[in-house]
Amino acid sequence: MKLEKGEISSSQLMLLTIAFIQGATLVLAFTYGITKHDTWLVVLSGFVISVPFILVYIALAQKFPGKNLVQINEIVYGTYVGILISGLYLFFFFYIAAANVRYIGDFFLTYIMPDTPMIAILVVFIFICALAVRSGIEVIARCSFFLVLITTAIIMLTFVLLLKDMQLTNFLPVFETPLMDFVQGTHIIVAIPFCELLVFLMVIPYCNKIKQAKSSVLLGLIMGVATFITVAFQDVAILGGLVSNMVLPSFASLYYIDIGQFLTRMEIFFAVTLFVTQFLKVSILYYAAVLGTAQLFNLRSYVPLVLPMGIICISLAIALANSTAEHAYLGINIWPIHTILYEFFLPLLTLLIAKIRGLPQKKGGTS
Amino acid sequence: MISLLILAFTGVALFEVPALIQKKYWRELIVFSLFLLLAFVLALLQTIGVDIPSPLRGIGYVVKDLLHLNYK
Repeated sequence: MKLEKGEISSSQLMLLTIAFIQGATLVLAFTYGITKHDTWLVVLSGFVISVPFILVYIALAQKFPGKNLVQINEIVYGTYVGILISGLYLFFFFYIAAANVRYIGDFFLTYIMPDTPMIAILVVFIFICALAVRSGIEVIARCSFFLVLITTAIIMLTFVLLLKDMQLTNFLPVFETPLMDFVQGTHIIVAIPFCELLVFLMVIPYCNKIKQAKSSVLLGLIMGVATFITVAFQDVAILGGLVSNMVLPSFASLYYIDIGQFLTRMEIFFAVTLFVTQFLKVSILYYAAVLGTAQLFNLRSYVPLVLPMGIICISLAIALANSTAEHAYLGINIWPIHTILYEFFLPLLTLLIAKIRGLPQKKGGTS
Repeated sequence: MISLLILAFTGVALFEVPALIQKKYWRELIVFSLFLLLAFVLALLQTIGVDIPSPLRGIGYVVKDLLHLNYK
């Protein structure tokens, strides 16, 4: 029984990848505190390091065409261990969704609506995501085109408007960061935005041309990284040393837009991009968690699980940390280490076991 | 506050359950009820002011105090 009947095209897969990477612009705020003005280098090195891992994920998806992560785990590890590992993964996806929802709440509370209770923002946000997830991956993929267009246009526009305020001397001295800080920054960048592309193992099976999945995901990654570097470049060039003191430098740098005292206060545009890209990112993660849970319980439809899991997501997002500072500390120092297990170790192990056991078997067998 | 919460959860149940019963999706109904119950318990605990232990802090304890792998 197929749970998801929708299909997405390879260009839609690419757009989803771009949106997914762009949705993590907030994570740059984590690295600014550590690597300061060398952050753009960190993004580049993170990109180079994450490419092999993403190739592993795509190799997994292409080895088992039409099967998503839960089904792959079941084939490779057998029923019981497979269910355990899939459960871990689903909690991982669900957790990332909750953390992203929490970021949105924190952002709105800090900058835009300081007196609103966080739950009000989270409920509205999760409601939109639940609507998208109930409609299926096809709807999410279709709206990605328009939304990515908006965000890319806004990022380009603000970059152009800020050109006159940029000071390239802010980048000097290059490579001053201690090695350990550089490693930590790269690890954060690799673990949080880039290798979370792991969740696309739940989406790629519904791509209608599985052969083109590799090129579209990699192209999406490159374009996402291009916007990432644009944002990092802009923040450092505008803010300079201040970049490590701000809660959200990408937002603060837009304060500087001032064209003839007429075009000012553009920073709300950043809130728009953030909201839009986070919506797509959370929708994909939420969708993956709901779909995987439905498969784990052998259900015929995943739709009834959407609302209860959304409510749990809100509870989890509020319970995650007491304050923004605690969340940031755990995100910077603890979370990247924890993701090694899911993003680097387990996919490689799955691929190796599949190779050794000669899976998927061509004739007969379990496939 | 608690009555509002019960109202919201009743709304969710009324929204999903009739369609499930019509299609005779009993297994789905059971899983749905379990998840909704979990969600209700979590939300109720948060509403009456009980601190739910954060999984993130649990992960932090394992990585930092047991494995000593954390940065800083």
